[in-house]
Amino acid sequence: MSNVVIQANNLTKEYVRAEFRVTALDDANLEVHQGEFIALMGPSGSGKSTLLHLMAAMDRPSSGNISVFGQNLQALSDAEIARWRNTHIGFVFQSFNLIPVLTAMENVELPLKLTKLNKTQRREQAKRALELVGLGDRLGHTPRQLSGGQEQRVAIARAIVTDPDVILADEPTGNLDAASARDVLTLLGRLNKEFNKTLIMVTHDPGAAKTASKIRYLEKGKLLPEGQKPAEY
Amino acid sequence: MFRHLSLIFRNSLRNRRRSLLTIVSIAVSLCLLGLLVAIYRAFFFAEATPDQALRLVTRHRVSLANPLPASYMQQIKQVPGVKEAMIFQWFGGTYKDNRDPANMFARFGVEAEKFGIVNPEYKLSDSEREAFIKEPTACIVGRKTAARHNMKLGDRITIIGDIYPVTLEFVLRGIYSGPADNESLIFHYKYLNESLTGEMRDTIGTFFIRMERTDDANTISKTIDDMFRNSPAQTKTETEQAFGLSFLSFLGDVKLILLTICAAVTFTILLVSGNTMAMSVRERVREVGVLKTLGFTNGAVLWLLVGEAIIIALIGGALGVLLASGLCAWMRSLPSMFADLSQLRVTAPVAAICLLVAAMIGLVSSFIPAWGASRRPIIDALKYSD
Repeated sequence: MSNVVIQANNLTKEYVRAEFRVTALDDANLEVHQGEFIALMGPSGSGKSTLLHLMAAMDRPSSGNISVFGQNLQALSDAEIARWRNTHIGFVFQSFNLIPVLTAMENVELPLKLTKLNKTQRREQAKRALELVGLGDRLGHTPRQLSGGQEQRVAIARAIVTDPDVILADEPTGNLDAASARDVLTLLGRLNKEFNKTLIMVTHDPGAAKTASKIRYLEKGKLLPEGQKPAEY
Repeated sequence: MFRHLSLIFRNSLRNRRRSLLTIVSIAVSLCLLGLLVAIYRAFFFAEATPDQALRLVTRHRVSLANPLPASYMQQIKQVPGVKEAMIFQWFGGTYKDNRDPANMFARFGVEAEKFGIVNPEYKLSDSEREAFIKEPTACIVGRKTAARHNMKLGDRITIIGDIYPVTLEFVLRGIYSGPADNESLIFHYKYLNESLTGEMRDTIGTFFIRMERTDDANTISKTIDDMFRNSPAQTKTETEQAFGLSFLSFLGDVKLILLTICAAVTFTILLVSGNTMAMSVRERVREVGVLKTLGFTNGAVLWLLVGEAIIIALIGGALGVLLASGLCAWMRSLPSMFADLSQLRVTAPVAAICLLVAAMIGLVSSFIPAWGASRRPIIDALKYSD
């Protein structure tokens, strides 16, 4: 158990929409170990993103519990969770979600503004993260001046700049052309292998999923047992 | 918290046209507010000059329209603490053409030999003062009026009476400079009185009294008013400043009017600003989800959104204060129609009030939408589309 990073037990998430109760995730159990690269696959509405959001503490489960590095996330207040997320989690969105009025450097620096680092230290760290993703020459560019692939690399730099333990990516190649997607996957693979980052990636793309060391499938809110997958896969 | 200032500034410039329009609308409103507060301060809070503080004004208890006998003068002069008392009679009348506001300056009949004692702040050269005192038809005018009408010493000035059925012909013998009033025409009351017949003769509107000490103001006022308590024309004696305010009150409850307009201006801009801020926050909901994903707390997000509104409002407020200062300077240069505008200034406290109101407009107009956005769950915020 010592190298277990994420432990999810009987995790269920239900949404109530008008008079309907929708079970997005049903009794999921998952254990993620340090340095693993897991791809979560499944049809639309199978609960992949819901599981990812629960692991990032962006949402709270209806029942069950989840702990990351032994920390039970349900026990934390909203403010504590925000600080915890800033320290431990790097999140990559499908649609990049960079702040349009900020440069690449400033976007990457943003999570560091919540730390105790001074401006010089923040700038140095943000620059290093951007150099790591191959954008050392695009520091002053705004998102509008970058290609989709470059935007996603800036988003990855923003996710790793605080040196988080876990990187969660929600369809990071979903909005990219094939070449850019390949670059992003290579980068994520490097972060996993060279920097021993624990990576969990939601994807629809079987090719992308192959980058991961393990693939887990979800179907109709159920996390299928390891090695089992839905019929259409 | 101040670490996020650069982000707040950048966000304020995100939609430049909207920010600019918001800033302009706040600036115009705050300019009006600044002007009204400056007027309020000038009327009700301006400190009396040392000479003003030493002067009292006696008028009829009922109103300025009711005359007092000129003979009261001798009794008033006997009151202990009174250094000098002087007839100060408003004349009115028409100079050239009343339709031109430039011709609207006050005209007063005084006792010329006492004028320098009761109103020493009106600066004249010795030769001008002497010429004014000596010649019964002489007059002096303030430097602003003289400049506006290109008047020179020796010029003849005709004022056609309206309330007083006489036409007075003056010779300009002096151009005075005062700390506040630089526009009036001052002439010999005696010249007016001798031109009058019937009931109007030997009656006056006000006595101006110079005291020895400001501390005696209440005692002297009471003594004078008590002296004429049982006479047909009772008096009301008050400081020159209080007299100015009572004169202003003929326009209505000026305090209430000013405060009502101030409140209406503030409330209107609050609604306009609130609508803009709500739009701005609504566009930013998805970004709120991103910021919270990065680790921003609800409070930090609230501060970012509210701070942006406050900065926009403060920029508008600062511009409004500058505009109001310019307007005050312009109004000071205008002829005084009914009130002394020489004290009309956007002082530091007035500017501070305007900036505080601007900050409050930013805070109040943005708080509710910002609060709602900051409390929105991350997943809802990320799924939000405007």
